[in-house]
Amino acid sequence: MSPQPQAAVGVPLSRVDGRLKVTGKARYAAEFDVDGVVHAVIVDASIGRGRITGVDTRDAEAHPGVLRVIHHGNAPKLPYRDNPGSNNLPGRRLRVFQDDKVLFHGQPVAVVVATTLEAAQHGASLVKVRYEAEQPSTDLAEAKAGEPTEYARGDAEAGLRDSAVRMDLTYRMARNHHNPMETHATIARWDGNKLTVWDKTQWVVGTQTELSTVFDVPLDSVRVINPFVGGAFGSGLRCWPHTVVAALAAREMKRPVKVVLTRKQMYFGTGFRPRYEYRLSLGSDRRGRLKATVHEIDAETSSYETFEEAIMLAGQMFYSTPNVSQAYRKVPLDVNSPIWMRGPGFANASFAIESAMDELAHRLRVDPIELRLRNEPAEDESNNLPWSTRRLRECYTVGAREFGWHRHNPKPRARRDGDWLVGLGMAAAVYDPNNMEAHARARLNADGTAVVEAAASDMGPGTYTSQTQVAADALGLTMRAVTFRLGDSLYPQTPPHGGSMTMMCVGSANLDACNKIRRQAIKLAVEDEASPLYGAKAEDIVVRSGRLHVQGNPARGETYQRLLTRNNLTHLEADGSWSGPQDPERHSYYSYGAVFTEVGVDAALGLVRVRRMLGVYDCGRIVSPKLADSQALGGMVGGIGQALLEHTVTDHRDGRIVNADLAGYLVPVNADIPEIKAIYLEGEDMQADPLGVKGVGEIVQVGVASAIANAVFNATGRRIRELPITAEALL
Amino acid sequence: MSTELPQSSVPPPTGVDEPSSAPTRRTFIATTTAVGAVVAGGVIGGTLLVDDEVAAAGAPPESRVSLTVNGTRRTVTVDNRTSLLDLLREQFGLTGSKKGCNAGACGACTVFVDGRRVNSCLTLAVRLEGAEVTTIEGLAEGDELHPLQQAFVDEDAFQCGYCTPGQIMSGVGCIQEGHTGSPEEIREWMSGNICRCGCYVKIVRAVEQTAARK
Repeated sequence: MSPQPQAAVGVPLSRVDGRLKVTGKARYAAEFDVDGVVHAVIVDASIGRGRITGVDTRDAEAHPGVLRVIHHGNAPKLPYRDNPGSNNLPGRRLRVFQDDKVLFHGQPVAVVVATTLEAAQHGASLVKVRYEAEQPSTDLAEAKAGEPTEYARGDAEAGLRDSAVRMDLTYRMARNHHNPMETHATIARWDGNKLTVWDKTQWVVGTQTELSTVFDVPLDSVRVINPFVGGAFGSGLRCWPHTVVAALAAREMKRPVKVVLTRKQMYFGTGFRPRYEYRLSLGSDRRGRLKATVHEIDAETSSYETFEEAIMLAGQMFYSTPNVSQAYRKVPLDVNSPIWMRGPGFANASFAIESAMDELAHRLRVDPIELRLRNEPAEDESNNLPWSTRRLRECYTVGAREFGWHRHNPKPRARRDGDWLVGLGMAAAVYDPNNMEAHARARLNADGTAVVEAAASDMGPGTYTSQTQVAADALGLTMRAVTFRLGDSLYPQTPPHGGSMTMMCVGSANLDACNKIRRQAIKLAVEDEASPLYGAKAEDIVVRSGRLHVQGNPARGETYQRLLTRNNLTHLEADGSWSGPQDPERHSYYSYGAVFTEVGVDAALGLVRVRRMLGVYDCGRIVSPKLADSQALGGMVGGIGQALLEHTVTDHRDGRIVNADLAGYLVPVNADIPEIKAIYLEGEDMQADPLGVKGVGEIVQVGVASAIANAVFNATGRRIRELPITAEALL
Repeated sequence: MSTELPQSSVPPPTGVDEPSSAPTRRTFIATTTAVGAVVAGGVIGGTLLVDDEVAAAGAPPESRVSLTVNGTRRTVTVDNRTSLLDLLREQFGLTGSKKGCNAGACGACTVFVDGRRVNSCLTLAVRLEGAEVTTIEGLAEGDELHPLQQAFVDEDAFQCGYCTPGQIMSGVGCIQEGHTGSPEEIREWMSGNICRCGCYVKIVRAVEQTAARK
């Protein structure tokens, strides 16, 4: 942070864009009023694998309002240049309408463009596609895995052999879909060789580079605009085929085209959190100190790309373990490619590891928190680096006190409330916040207002608000005087809005830009004979509410307005950047948490209800406490969904997803959520970045599913090792 | 847990005996047929074929409808397949009502029709002759936010904001209906509106406080 007084950072302010959102005036991708726009509806493959033998478009094209049907038989060949540095996965990305191959059920095979949405929808139902179908392979349990990614230290097999206690456990986790409330959508418009798209994305720059490479047009010929993102949770981390379809159709039609995915299309038109099987063997001494762990991990990927996520790190660094061996196998299936989803990797690894720790605690009759404390490592044993900050013990202490963990009875089925068996459970959480280069540009106007721009996104955490807070304090302005702009590829580049890195990376770049401007202004003042600050020491000057003054002597000073106007300056401007910690090799950076929950399980029906939940987090400095609190509660709700409801079901006969809607794919509704609570430990991690933040958005979903599974065990004596935990599993 | 099919947040209408704006079972079915464009297909000898029986389409029927939206009387010609939601979003430029599922399962499209909350994605525009429609854009009095809109801002009862207009319309309905006796009752009567960002605790708080102020 700067030497500036903190008037905005750390203060529980309401959202700066709140009014736009509660009045319906915030515009999301599909809502831009683009002159002459026509509607396009995608036709999805109705087989799980094979080839297209014919596309009959006559009825569709005869339908009033339908302008054209585009498919592989009449679509232009697209360059699809490589796009290194993007979030495209290793492999060969899906190329829309470029050949007759069907790689998964739901793959786009045609698009119907019409003057109205109704005509396009009906037209899509009239396109007759003939296929030669093959049997798809979509079952993780049946398919053959690819080459594993491996990790080893010590001798895990020997460690297991020599352990007094050994447990071999298999955990399974269902495929999950992000299901943001806004479905993905794109409006594309070509002006000559220049392409503008309004696209739902967590990374306008990512969509920009993808379209530039797919169509082989210069990067600066593509502009991507997306000021509001109606949730995403990872689904917007890469550019999906429908965005290319929109741009392709717009070029063919020579007019703007809008594509809005249906809810159903979200299940195969965007990615998902893959299904996992996680086999964990652990060995400990009689006091529960881990000697060895072996992690055998299988996860879904597509036949054309290899999806990987940080599923292995938790097993390497979280508990002190001399001997570790891991094998992470990606299993190619006839499905579309997965993508990162909230708490990527860690949310799944923690279900296995934190459930297993609970099983070990029960077996050894040790309190689950005590067992974890006995395995607390002094350093990161995967790289022998010291922790930047690791306040996990404090998370346990605060959580146990606030939650009332002393009421935890280690004996299962010990507490009953009417029909309900009641149990308590806890789990630890960890996340590795990502870190990438980011830029921002700030401008201080002579009227005392400021604008900061970055090609960042705000899918809900409150980027607009928290970045305004950072800028306001660094510039010494009120919140009202600062405008933060994002969601436009014309702005300075930022990394994807995910991996808990927006606050750290964009925030640090923003801080850098604003600090530079403040210093410029201070330098101008102390060197300006007409300024009351002339001759003062630059380091003694602070700015409050747009007025520069000597610290401790508020009378000696002047406003930005006076200073700039007197010097005939319309504005001051600066670019800021962030490229990671100064010395990343010196510390191990993670955010931490502990989740406590009480569940009720209907003894007769097996229904599970969360009765209360508390999350305690060590995430460094909290810039925007009111919004960070909402984010934590939201992550916990997401975790409740992962634990008890969310399960994408595939019919393995033809690769069709059978519950591709919000009636069959259950997510938590209001009645599922009791009073839940989050606490952030006060403090900052100044090793991590100049703001002292470690990111919030991902870790808050980690540990929730395991805490619930552990509470279900405590309530019922039944150990459920498969997500979601259903009534069927408990009966 | 909600293991049942999510229901519309609208209680089933009773005693509807005239063509009105009320969402009847028939409206629901007709809308589902019109909006749910699905390719019919079947497996024949290992090859999937689209149903050849799909009728060649004629010109879609259109109708003239006069309705009042946020106090403004509008007369429009609509394709009979058009939902109220698509009429609002695509033709009137009122994009505050959101499309989350287009199947009545998420509540993002909630508006008032004749004072009652309905899922506008399941309401055919052609059935709304003479109806009074209120959307999120019509809730505030000029610059002054409706108390529930203000409570949503104050309580931070949203994150991405996409479900928010529907939550607020539904919340206003919930308060008007008197289903705010306890947090449990509010949770139940607000469960037709999904918030994927998970702001439920604060949505309940906002509704509860606004109801208490009345």
